Amino acid sequence: MKIEKYFLAGMALSMPVIGISAQTFRDSIELEPVVVTASHSPKALKDAPVVTRLITLHDIKITDATNIQDLLIQEIPGLEFGFAMSQETSLNMSGFGGNAVLFLVDGERMAGETMDNVDYSRMNLDNVGRIEIVKGASSALYGSNAVGGVVNIISRENIEPWTANANSRYSSFGHEWRHGASFSFNKGKWNSQTSFQHTAIDPVDLPKAHSSMEIAQELLKKAQGLPYDESVLIDDSNLSRLYGQKTYNVKERLTWRANDHLTFVGRGGYFFRTSERDTHDYHFNGYSGGLKGRYAWNHERHLELSYAFDQYDKANYMDGTRTHDHDYSNRQHVLHALYSHSFGNNALILGADYMNDYLSTYQFATGTSHSQNNIDGYAQFDWNITEQLNIVGSVRYDYFSASAQKAFTERLAVVYKMPWMTFRANYASGFRAPTLKEMYMHFDMGNMGYMLRGNPDLKPEKSNNFNVAIERTNRIRNSGFLDGRYNFTLMGYCNVFDKRITTIDGGLYNGMESALYWNEDGITVWGVDASLGHIWDCGLMLKLNYSWMKETGSVYYSDFYQPRTHSMTWRIGYEHRFSRHYALDAALSGRSQGKPQSGRTDVDGGYTIWKLMLQHHIWRGINLNTAIDNLFNYKPKTYYYCSPLTTGTSFSIGLSIDFDRL
Amino acid sequence: MKTMKIKSFMTMMVAAVALVMGVSSCGSDDDEPEVAVAAEVAGSYEGNEIVMVDNDESSNETKTYVLTKVTDASIDMNIPEIGMGMMTIPALTVNGIGLKKEGNTIAGRLATYNGKVTNAKGEEKAYTVSDVNILFGDKNVVVTFSLKYGTMPFIMATTFTGTKKIEN
Repeated sequence: MKIEKYFLAGMALSMPVIGISAQTFRDSIELEPVVVTASHSPKALKDAPVVTRLITLHDIKITDATNIQDLLIQEIPGLEFGFAMSQETSLNMSGFGGNAVLFLVDGERMAGETMDNVDYSRMNLDNVGRIEIVKGASSALYGSNAVGGVVNIISRENIEPWTANANSRYSSFGHEWRHGASFSFNKGKWNSQTSFQHTAIDPVDLPKAHSSMEIAQELLKKAQGLPYDESVLIDDSNLSRLYGQKTYNVKERLTWRANDHLTFVGRGGYFFRTSERDTHDYHFNGYSGGLKGRYAWNHERHLELSYAFDQYDKANYMDGTRTHDHDYSNRQHVLHALYSHSFGNNALILGADYMNDYLSTYQFATGTSHSQNNIDGYAQFDWNITEQLNIVGSVRYDYFSASAQKAFTERLAVVYKMPWMTFRANYASGFRAPTLKEMYMHFDMGNMGYMLRGNPDLKPEKSNNFNVAIERTNRIRNSGFLDGRYNFTLMGYCNVFDKRITTIDGGLYNGMESALYWNEDGITVWGVDASLGHIWDCGLMLKLNYSWMKETGSVYYSDFYQPRTHSMTWRIGYEHRFSRHYALDAALSGRSQGKPQSGRTDVDGGYTIWKLMLQHHIWRGINLNTAIDNLFNYKPKTYYYCSPLTTGTSFSIGLSIDFDRL
Repeated sequence: MKTMKIKSFMTMMVAAVALVMGVSSCGSDDDEPEVAVAAEVAGSYEGNEIVMVDNDESSNETKTYVLTKVTDASIDMNIPEIGMGMMTIPALTVNGIGLKKEGNTIAGRLATYNGKVTNAKGEEKAYTVSDVNILFGDKNVVVTFSLKYGTMPFIMATTFTGTKKIEN
């Protein structure tokens, strides 16, 4: 019974907001949330050894985001999603590309890749409870790819007897429809969570400054030797049309608490996306499943064993027929063991993983596929020396069979709590092992006579991350208008990133020009992150996040990657219950991206986009969400790979019904 | 009562969504009298062809385009080979491009043309040429169009600027 109580208490703490109302909005900030990503174990946010940015369920709802991409750009300064060739999505987070940021769903990796990371559209937010973001290296806990940061998406765990929700939302941008449904129940030893989401967005023609006929007219004048307008002929845009797409995502998680000591969690998921290109359709399929067993001897000691499977497939279709010329399949099998033992206020964690990674792709030599095994072991000791001083040390060893590469990573985090603020200092190393694609690529790009070649001799990318932070959280009383609770965090960091894997000129190969994967010199990323939050007792709320970042060293600017020195996100919110049947959550939010460090002037230097969101809580369990995005109608002068995806002001309207609360 | 309230609410929602879905307007093109302009435009043009893929320049070459009179106000266009070696797209034809006199220029437009062609390997390939614009004035021509060829996973946006060859 005791264990069950702890379990439920833990769930309640870690899921402070279940269902949305004006009151839960306040609760989400007033309660002391628990995070797990920074230390692989539950800790109060204020005690986390590394600064952790928490995106709550309320944040997710108020941003009206469909997937992780929509959400993060509104919440995290210095984070941008852009496009690469064929409109694959690329990520840039504080100077790091997508392959240096590890995305986890409930602590598990995902298979597959788009441009430089997983398919972000797999990560819909329909059943997500919170998201934890740890900037900087975390490989000592999470292994490869945790070079620049970790984003951990954590599912909701409802504790009510049952819940049922259906929601639908229309956005004028691309005439996008989003439909979702979820159902959960708790009965005896069983807990089940089921969710479904479908989205559909039409192609979006991006406006050009001049029509093709206007350009033709100026070209004709030029050919005739007449005066003409040169500016009409200059077009620096990389994109003219955003492809339409549809997604289907279904997930199930079933928990069985066999007794007070033993819990099993089974999960399964299926994802389908079709991207409607100009000349063909791309089909993407994702399959995931897993089984986790957790045995707790007591509150101090537990063992976790799990198996996870994830597969991501891509294929090209023309007129409904699979062409088999762009087949891609990535499969991962992961075995995981974690033992945790508390000694009073101190805790030891020992873990080990085995992962088999298989890849078959049209970008390999015809008829070949490759696989590799990754074996790792790690240990972490959480030492609470005094009430004020906490030291967390972690070490990890990884081995990759295909490249016979080893990686040894470590982290040392110190937290010192003073009466008026908390001080944190952290050193962590990170690495990214070369992927199978980077080692074995053998791809004639679109039969255009240009080869991309892998390199089996690649070394892992390495990073060394140092950061220091101060944090103050306090309540203001009896001061009139300022009465409320505030939080201020200031963090400075330096991330030394070496042996970056990129492509260089590979010379002539079989008579063709080629590019070769290679370890390049590194860069050093310097940065300062500041965040300020204030919740007024009167119902007002302010969140302000600012990020400054500078890259030095062997800096390379690609068209798909435009790090910016200054960036900021903010939200001003107001919540009020007007009557028993009506409450309002209003939020005016924005994001501002400064000029690219590359100094390029042929495209917009920076931009600011505002969004107004109104959530009407009508009656019990009915929420009507309305939003106006890009409030001040910002339009990029040209659409290049890093332009924000907007054609001007758009709006959305959505309805969500919690049937269990009607 | 509870049901009625939900029904009313849903009706309002549907109405709100319908309001914002937008309406499309229809219009008819101005019907201008047909002018015999095809003979003026017809001929061989030599000039510069730029092919863009994903807004990046893929090729920039000197080419010859041939425009052939079909009726007094329409022409066919012959697009020369694009690319080289294994990558070559054979010469293509676009038929039935209507022409109109517009001030000092003659303009031709065609929304879409679907055709089939046999390549050097003897394979039949389908192609679609869309958004065709032709602008002629004073022996110069500008041609713009988008080409979707076979199973190529991209569209080629092409601009040709040429001068009429003098027939001997």
